Amino acid sequence: MIAGQVRRLGSALLVGFAVVVGGLGFWQVVAAESLNTRPDNPAVLAALRSQPRGTIFDATGVALARTTVANGLAQRAYSDPAFAHLVGYASLRYGLSGIEAAWDDVLNGFTDPNPLHQWLNDILGRPPTQYDLTLTLDRRLQDYAAAQLGTSVGAIVAIDPATGQVLAMTSTPSFDASGFTGDPGSAAAAWDLIAAQPNDPFVDRARNGVYVPGSIMKVATAAIGLDSGAVTTDTTFPTQPEEEINGMYVDGFLITEHDLNGLTPGLWDMSEAMQVSSNIYFAHVGLEIGQERYLSGAEALGFCAPWRIGPRDHGLSGVASSVTELTDAGCGPFVDDAELASASFGQGRVTASPLMMALLTAAVANGGVLPDPFVVRDIRPASAQNGPLDEIVESFAPGDGTRVMSAQTADSVRALMVDAVHGPLGAPYAGAANVALYGISGVETAGKTGTAQRGGNLPPHSWFIGFVPAGPDGSPAIAVAVIVEGAGPGSQSAAPIGGRVMAEWLRLAGGG
Amino acid sequence: MGGSLRWTEFRLLLPVLLLVPLGFVLAHIGQVGLAETGPLAIPLAYLGLVLAAHLLLRGLGQRGDPFLLPIVAAMGGIGLIILGRLPQDLAGLDALGLGMAPTQLLWFGLGLVVMVGVAVGLRDDGFLRHYKYSWGLFGAVLLVATLIIGSEVNGARLWIFVGPIGFQPSELIKIVLAIFLAGYLAETRAVLSQATVKIGPLKVPPLPYLLPMLVIFGFVMAVVVVSRDLGTALLFFGVFLTMLFVATGRRSYVLFGFLLFFGGSVLAYFLFAHVRVRVDAWLNPWADPADGGYQIIQALYAFARGGVFGEGLGQGIPLINGHTPVPAMHNDFIFAAVGEDLGFIGASAVLALAALLVFRGLRVAIGAGDDFRALLAVGLTASLGLQILIITAGNLKLIPLTGVTFPFLSYGGSSLLASFAIVGVLLAISHRSSSTP
Repeated sequence: MIAGQVRRLGSALLVGFAVVVGGLGFWQVVAAESLNTRPDNPAVLAALRSQPRGTIFDATGVALARTTVANGLAQRAYSDPAFAHLVGYASLRYGLSGIEAAWDDVLNGFTDPNPLHQWLNDILGRPPTQYDLTLTLDRRLQDYAAAQLGTSVGAIVAIDPATGQVLAMTSTPSFDASGFTGDPGSAAAAWDLIAAQPNDPFVDRARNGVYVPGSIMKVATAAIGLDSGAVTTDTTFPTQPEEEINGMYVDGFLITEHDLNGLTPGLWDMSEAMQVSSNIYFAHVGLEIGQERYLSGAEALGFCAPWRIGPRDHGLSGVASSVTELTDAGCGPFVDDAELASASFGQGRVTASPLMMALLTAAVANGGVLPDPFVVRDIRPASAQNGPLDEIVESFAPGDGTRVMSAQTADSVRALMVDAVHGPLGAPYAGAANVALYGISGVETAGKTGTAQRGGNLPPHSWFIGFVPAGPDGSPAIAVAVIVEGAGPGSQSAAPIGGRVMAEWLRLAGGG
Repeated sequence: MGGSLRWTEFRLLLPVLLLVPLGFVLAHIGQVGLAETGPLAIPLAYLGLVLAAHLLLRGLGQRGDPFLLPIVAAMGGIGLIILGRLPQDLAGLDALGLGMAPTQLLWFGLGLVVMVGVAVGLRDDGFLRHYKYSWGLFGAVLLVATLIIGSEVNGARLWIFVGPIGFQPSELIKIVLAIFLAGYLAETRAVLSQATVKIGPLKVPPLPYLLPMLVIFGFVMAVVVVSRDLGTALLFFGVFLTMLFVATGRRSYVLFGFLLFFGGSVLAYFLFAHVRVRVDAWLNPWADPADGGYQIIQALYAFARGGVFGEGLGQGIPLINGHTPVPAMHNDFIFAAVGEDLGFIGASAVLALAALLVFRGLRVAIGAGDDFRALLAVGLTASLGLQILIITAGNLKLIPLTGVTFPFLSYGGSSLLASFAIVGVLLAISHRSSSTP
């Protein structure tokens, strides 16, 4: 009689043991991977103190970040401050940033690109193997770009429009992380010294800088207007010449033209308006497009959502740009037509990061397909030497990209941007970006300057976007976005920098 | 029959006696990274002790269950191996200055002596069943004494020190509680099964029989309140409920008992800060990773390091920045060390051993042929099984963490002696049933 109860007790205890085995399986099998790589795991921290770490090379095989282990202590050293923001840092005390953070598991070997290796390592209890990364960026262009910015505050992003390979991405002021990625004991002093400098050197302006775009936004407005069919490049607005002088009222808000430097306004078509950079003309274009169409067009171009720079799951983030007030759900609605009109020529509540503008430019250059940006070209076994090994574990092919405008629209916008540099009305502005000025002849340059007003007596930010070669049958090799903070009109500062960077790349790429 | 039993036990012991010493050697190799055997004193002593226990039992004509010794020898051996790869001064400097593993081996040997002594000496259990109230009183006195003169270790009042030697009375109380309840329930189970009084929708036994139950419940709650030890309270109460269920077959008692305990625990959560800390750390350890949640987080990290196959015997991390990866890795968290070294597969195998022990114990109960002995076997077996479930579930964040030991594995003399005494009783009970047709 008791036997039955004992058996039932046995079943109950068996259930108990099964539950415990289930818990065991959860932590040791299902959740093990994520626990083992948690940055606060003391075993991870202890291992990192003395563990080698993969080297990060630029596209030409120059080491940008490498680790030496001395007296059981791993020291990470960085060779080039121009890469400080993109490469980031790996510090025991201050954590990880940039590529060091996004690719941490591969660099330190916790995740093996080859699942079979990973499995064998687990089974045989082998120590993890570290991997090296080769970037898509060319150190020569990156250094050249950083040198162009010099001591000014700003950022440059350069992209290969056809593939999405990031060619240069630099932000000033920069910093040398080597001081706080070695001995944790002396890290604080080095960190504090950088943090105390003006203009916050730790901020990556290229990815995460948020700026008023100013007139470079007219390229986006033109693309949205042409692609939606709201306007053509021949569209004119009869009241425009008069409004250039007296301004135009939208919802009771007065929109005025910038200083035309004595130019007499005419009935401009889109090309002329782009060359002169007419606020009035593009305000009209925006109103023709309408609030909802403008918003959805901007979203299609990549505004209103954060960027991810690939490849794949090891993405770096880039801040979201916006045409209206940005919420967690994306861009909010336009408040009124005045905000729409202002946004259309790059003022109002429009914000843009250099990365956003470079990608938009690349989409125009690439026949309307916005390429998938990526910064890591391949993964190789860790090398003890100064250069990368020949063996490639995994190399990353360009993605398919996203079509954001028709090929016809892209070609029209290309022509507008070429006119802005080469046309008679545009030459005084974006003409400063013509690569012919910087030793490259026989190549058309596409570009657009921007002068981002900041209110008060603050000098405006200087913007430029452009690409070369920009002829009707050319295949563009580089698209750039340049911002120089507080440097005045785009034509004076950002445009020549953009022109020089593009010319330098044509030289570098042409020379091998 | 006796001859075949002896051979069964020996055949079962054979792999244990081969594998455990091999485990010592492998752990040593894993630890130092050299292909050498390392000191052989401990594995040889282990071998000798287990073999001697086996020969003594059979030589003295003990015909108890042949599975029990091999199972507990294996569990004890695994515990010794794990303790051997941890820093030897983890438990503080013991009186003999031997280090943790040799001290544990000493207790292991003493435990075997106790087991053989009980198995052979408990030929007549009359003094257990007839003096049940005296046993109950003895348990109560021990409990009260612990609460009054006991010392606090890690926030729980669990220890009584006599000079330099401390012991945990709860291990003894556990056994005494089972003896008392077995005697009491064997006598009253007929009445208890026939509920006569109705309180609301609940049928309960008559008051004179209900009262002792409530007294026990009160005692258990007193343990929670004063000793600050949820785990022991849960264990006592679990033993009480399982024995009550087996004696009466009434699930409503179990349900009612659990509700009472749950209610008491909820009350304790709101009344006592230390209970709150434990429960909060269980619900979200990462909310306070450096303090309240530290232990459990580090335990989960140790389990995760083990993964499916384990780091290998002896290859778990002994120290991180001068501390064991998990505090109390030698007692409360030895299962985490097992999981780290042996992985999911090895830790599951240890749990399978524990489950096998429980089933042999319950089998002894079924074959006991006498209510008292059956209930005693059930209570003692349940105390081992529940204790293992409570500590492993706590280690794995399935329930709030409590400080009970893992029988046969955890470091500590009280736990080892009590656990071996229980096996001794089970051997004695199964001996009687195998000798009386």
